[in-house]
Amino acid sequence: MSAPEVSIVALGVGVGDRRLPLAEIGAAWGRGGRGQVAVCDADQDPLTLAWTASDAALAVIGRSGTSIDGLWWGTTRPPFAEGPSWSFLAATLGLRADAVGALCSGSTHAGIDALEAACDAVAAGRVTTALVVASDALVPGLGSGFESACGAGAIALLVERGSSPAVLGERARTYEPFLDRYRGDRETETREVYDGRLFREEILPLAARAAAALNVDPAATRWSLPDPDGRLGAGLAKSIGATTVSSAEHRRSLGDLGAAAALVGLVPALVAAGPAALVALAGGRATAIAVNVTAAVPGAAEAVLALDASGWPITYPEVLRSRGQLVANGEQVEMAVPPGSAMFVRDSRDILGLVGARCVDCGTINFPPGIHPACLSCGGDKFDDVGLARTGTVQTFVINHAMPAPFVAPLPLVCVDLDDGSRVMFQGVGGGADLAIDAPVELVLRRYTVERGVPVYGWKVAVTAAVAS
Amino acid sequence: MESGCDCGGRLVSAPWNRAVVIGAGLIKMGELFEQGYEQMAKGAFDAAVASVDHGFDPSAVDAVFVATQRGTLWGQEGIGGNTVPSAIGLAGVASTRIENACPTGSDAFRVGAMAVASGVYDVVLVIGVEKMRDKSAEEGLLARAASGHPVLTRGESAPVLFAPFATRHMHEYGTTREMLASVAVKNHHNGALDPYAHFQNEITIEQVLASPPVCHPLHLLDCCPQTDGAAAILLCSPERAAEFTDKPVFVAGFGVATDHPYLHEKSTFVGLPATTLASQRAYAMAGVGPGDLDMAEVHDCFTITEILDIEDLGFCEKGKGGPFTLEGNTALDGSIPVNTSGGLLAKGHPIGATGIAQLTECWWQLREEADQRQVALRSGFALQHNVGGRGSGVSVVNILTRNG
Repeated sequence: MSAPEVSIVALGVGVGDRRLPLAEIGAAWGRGGRGQVAVCDADQDPLTLAWTASDAALAVIGRSGTSIDGLWWGTTRPPFAEGPSWSFLAATLGLRADAVGALCSGSTHAGIDALEAACDAVAAGRVTTALVVASDALVPGLGSGFESACGAGAIALLVERGSSPAVLGERARTYEPFLDRYRGDRETETREVYDGRLFREEILPLAARAAAALNVDPAATRWSLPDPDGRLGAGLAKSIGATTVSSAEHRRSLGDLGAAAALVGLVPALVAAGPAALVALAGGRATAIAVNVTAAVPGAAEAVLALDASGWPITYPEVLRSRGQLVANGEQVEMAVPPGSAMFVRDSRDILGLVGARCVDCGTINFPPGIHPACLSCGGDKFDDVGLARTGTVQTFVINHAMPAPFVAPLPLVCVDLDDGSRVMFQGVGGGADLAIDAPVELVLRRYTVERGVPVYGWKVAVTAAVAS
Repeated sequence: MESGCDCGGRLVSAPWNRAVVIGAGLIKMGELFEQGYEQMAKGAFDAAVASVDHGFDPSAVDAVFVATQRGTLWGQEGIGGNTVPSAIGLAGVASTRIENACPTGSDAFRVGAMAVASGVYDVVLVIGVEKMRDKSAEEGLLARAASGHPVLTRGESAPVLFAPFATRHMHEYGTTREMLASVAVKNHHNGALDPYAHFQNEITIEQVLASPPVCHPLHLLDCCPQTDGAAAILLCSPERAAEFTDKPVFVAGFGVATDHPYLHEKSTFVGLPATTLASQRAYAMAGVGPGDLDMAEVHDCFTITEILDIEDLGFCEKGKGGPFTLEGNTALDGSIPVNTSGGLLAKGHPIGATGIAQLTECWWQLREEADQRQVALRSGFALQHNVGGRGSGVSVVNILTRNG
């Protein structure tokens, strides 16, 4: 008896908001540089990118987090090296309390590990709808070749049993205990043993072997292929007889998206019917998966637009600062994050999940519930949990210019009247130049800070359309 | 309300007048690196003692209320209730520290007045002492940007608590930055006449507009400085006032009110409801209205705060605070002079001392001892106001009168 077919039913992507011209890196190290890579803004990281992609995938088919009973998240470097990365992402998406799944990490192969585990769980009937997320925003060694390749991005796939629109087919794999890209324990930056000939002669053949093992017509298949340095990918395509490489364009414009690379590279092939395949190569492993696309996958066209978006430029020092590689000297104020603040523990679920408490007596929504045992309007003490609206308009705002390190000015703070009648106040995305009273806004998940290695996540306010002045 | 009185408590006859200010004084405000907390306290106490018309024996003090707000950051201020009496030579006396955000000093005064009126004590010292500058701004007030809730209050330094009101007030009423600036210009003018003020220089509207942004839409000269300071007031019962003074100033009434602390819980961004509520209670207790005041010392931590104050206290219509100020109505010779001492913007804002210093200015004005800052007295009532805490969640209003 053959296993039930499993299909991708929706997808979304998230890309670092900023684009770093490689000439900026080159100038710092006395060499040239062409092209660009996508990098995170200071308040983005693999978790916020994962949220962005997942939110887009859910929205495109009108689903909420409660429809997901399994989450498999692959990221090379989880925001908590050891800790609650999976549950934080699950809470931001409002997944069911009994959701299953796993966090896959350890190398950029993690995205494919997550996909395979999710597909197997769906095929086995263990879960009905699996969310597969692959995201990465690695911290590369300063001045290394990998620094000029390292991008930031994420992809989320909703996977269910079915035979359309993009059925996951044959898989092939192989491994060799090679050392290519790695980070030693207690090291802060990812390193790469880069030797063009070593890659060409020893490592890339792994990928070629996995690809060749698939029973597909290589010339008729659209391929997502690994490309460690932006050049080797072409040689790999040639060696396996691939003529259409769907991953090439965004590898050029966004860089190597790590754990998300193989799946993001497939996205251009998911907008139209036809055979496709991906090959992932990392951690001494190569995995090839055939995908039979019968119709455009919901979200694929939007994802291509998001991948094509130009993004905002960023300078090299800003990138270093946001990656924690450039740190102000002297004392920094101690911030109220764990383990210094139990408030974080008490309100974490409600803040990450944007859960409010609606007063049974008067209907006022109190947020977060933890700070209001009594209703702020009527003093009542019986509440129903409600998910807050994610869109609204600006009630008022400020832009803070005077703060101690590690804050970086300008920092907008925005009070928002949400569409459900509740009111929240959060930081704004970017520098606040687009803020105006009554401007329509949405709430997006961002990383507020990292202190003593602990990331703090919260919602930020992003303007969705300008207000005519 | 059972009593039918709108002062937030039992029915009292108005004006209340059950406590008398017999002495008041302060030290020169500023960055007093050379003086410690204890030395500042001693300076203020000595000034208050010296101000008593018929002389004052410090041993007459029955109880001390110490107003220090930022008590947990530096050294011994957190236990000011026991350090201050020792520092001023009153070890042994009954003493308690009081904290209530920016109205800490004005609330300690209210508590002192009630202590006298209760009949338990005849003479009470209310003393406010605050060290704002022993640490850098980054480690002091600005560090609150990182304090509190890890997400809800992240980035909220003090200006963030008031700047959203400026944004909204400008949007709804057309209040301009020039109107805000006119508050700072007026208060610096008054401060230049006040020998106790931190800043004693005049400024122009252009200088305010051109000063660097601190928290949009507020710029540097829209903000009060960080100031070390101390102030002290001696209160006694009406029965014994004549022993100390021939010019008694009575506590005519007071009001305290609270509001929700977080900004996203505010019901309005064009006013501070705690101020309105506190003033209504104080007016009822004193039996006067805003039109009966000869002058007022109000909380102008930022220029927008004074605009909000004069509207919320009823000096002008809601939304008209900007033009009202720009037109000079709150100047020394205006219809209702506001912040004749220079206010927090020029005199400074040593938090625990602030309210007591404001009350000292009211006391001088009502005794016609304010020199070049003296306003014309008509009805003999003066109002003092603070508002503060997270989200301006607490306000205190005290009303003094020379009418016995």
